[in-house]
Amino acid sequence: MFTPLKIKNLTKCYGDFKAVDDVSFELKQGEIFGLLGPNGAGKTTLISCLVTLEKPNEGLIQICEKELSKAADVKKAKSDLGYVPQEVINHGYFTTREILKFYSGYLGILKNDDRIDYLLERLSLYEHRNKKVKQLSGGMKRRLMIAKSLVHSPKLLLLDEPTAGVDIELRNSLWDFVKELKKEKTTILLTTHYLEEAEELCDRIGVIDKGKLLKIDETSKLISELTFRKMHIKLKDSPKNLKESDYLKSVNDKDIVIEFPSQLTVGQVMTSVGIDLNNVVDLQLKEGSLEDAFLKILNHNAMSIGKSSNKNTNQNLTGAL
Amino acid sequence: MSSMSKKVSTRNLKFTPFLTLFWKEIRRFMKVSVQTVVTPAINSALYLIIFGVSLGASIDTGYEVSYLAFLISGLVMMSCLNNSFQNTASSIVSGKFSGDLEDLKVVPLGLQQIVWAMSLGAITRGLMVSTVNLIVGQSFYYYYHSEFFPIHSPLLLCFFLLIGALVYAKLGMFVAFLAKSFDQMSAVTAFILQPLSFLGGVFFSLNNLSPFWQKVSLYNPVLYFINGVRHATLGASDVSLNSAVVVSLVSLVVSHLLVLFVLTRSHFKRW
Repeated sequence: MFTPLKIKNLTKCYGDFKAVDDVSFELKQGEIFGLLGPNGAGKTTLISCLVTLEKPNEGLIQICEKELSKAADVKKAKSDLGYVPQEVINHGYFTTREILKFYSGYLGILKNDDRIDYLLERLSLYEHRNKKVKQLSGGMKRRLMIAKSLVHSPKLLLLDEPTAGVDIELRNSLWDFVKELKKEKTTILLTTHYLEEAEELCDRIGVIDKGKLLKIDETSKLISELTFRKMHIKLKDSPKNLKESDYLKSVNDKDIVIEFPSQLTVGQVMTSVGIDLNNVVDLQLKEGSLEDAFLKILNHNAMSIGKSSNKNTNQNLTGAL
Repeated sequence: MSSMSKKVSTRNLKFTPFLTLFWKEIRRFMKVSVQTVVTPAINSALYLIIFGVSLGASIDTGYEVSYLAFLISGLVMMSCLNNSFQNTASSIVSGKFSGDLEDLKVVPLGLQQIVWAMSLGAITRGLMVSTVNLIVGQSFYYYYHSEFFPIHSPLLLCFFLLIGALVYAKLGMFVAFLAKSFDQMSAVTAFILQPLSFLGGVFFSLNNLSPFWQKVSLYNPVLYFINGVRHATLGASDVSLNSAVVVSLVSLVVSHLLVLFVLTRSHFKRW
């Protein structure tokens, strides 16, 4: 099966600091993969290694089955790759159209007018095609970056926070475009701080923190495994036969809050807690979100780091004594 | 309309990226041609008026030609060197500032392709400006001598202009990749390159210097570039033709190795 991206034991250090620490994962063709993490987690460094802006200290990177470290493969690998950096590029004196033509040329395409016109139209830049890039608004520049990354119809597209500082309307239109690309079998790796959007868009999620890939799974699985459904019930009368349960979070006369794993149904939980359905006046159910799962992974990681550093401190103290 | 319907046409990864970068470099300086071509031509005209015409009558070059003829050949080479240097240096520095430079690393362009495409763009500017200066010089010369400025060997003239432009284009890349700020960039230009150019014999002959400074000047490679051009135009120079050819070629190899060295070690990320 075709593997658009394979990363194995990737490590990137700046002096003693490990920005990316032994990261391994693969992407499947046509999937949208969200790489999530707090600021400084190592997302951009990892992407910089993929686009050769940074040289990894260790590990293997294969783009469209071409190894980046092999001189004979690197050009072919780069030609299958589209990249939208986090910060916009100000292309000085050139026009929008000129930039896309140059970029097509860099990727080996001499005549690419149809594709350029299509992208200009699709990204609402056609009427600005003859404007100098420095005259474009921030949002337009952001769209130009995306158009640039797609002039050669790449098999793998890397989007490093493409919607940072972008208004909601543009964000939505960009995500619609990303969905369209997915339909065309383009594999997409994206980083974003908008977790709701990642939840809606991404087939799989990888959570990275302090350079380490902490968790990688299908978005739905991640949410169902790591989060709880929260149910707020309003009763007609005060409950009489409530059973002891870990799911029961609060009971305030006729108001009850229950948290339970996603695998259980509402009916199962109500029965196990001992609530009579005839006594229910109102019920609100909140599903677990990617944000909950994300925070849980990060908290768990912070706690395990804390534990191990305490352990080390204790060991050091013991050694000193 | 699906983007699948607008698939890209055939691709040539061998030459198209290289030719695109070369063309982009030319388009870049042509977009600001007043600054890159016209201004140097005006500067040269001013040098010719002040030094060549006004003061030139009282300067003895030690050659059997007027000071104006002596100056024209020096100015042609100096403008070629400076503009080649400026082209690569400003392209890289502005690319570092805007983030444009990252593109070159991300796309399928090899280091040698980057070096040669940028160098050829710089040579184009260097040769264009030096040609304009030669035309300005010819006009002055014709006005004062009622004959055209002599070009003893056009082939040698092209050789020295090309090699000089290439060396300075590569030095521009070397310095710009090493620089960590605009200040560092201007410091190298002001404290190293400009003194080398001015002390390379553009305005004076080695014969006008004391023996000590004559010996010191012989270590300045710019002296050989300028005297190479002087030999090609006037048929005579302060250094032998052979030494000018050898120093020029050695400078070319050294500058190429320097730029490759720095390119393999430096990053293309923005400031």
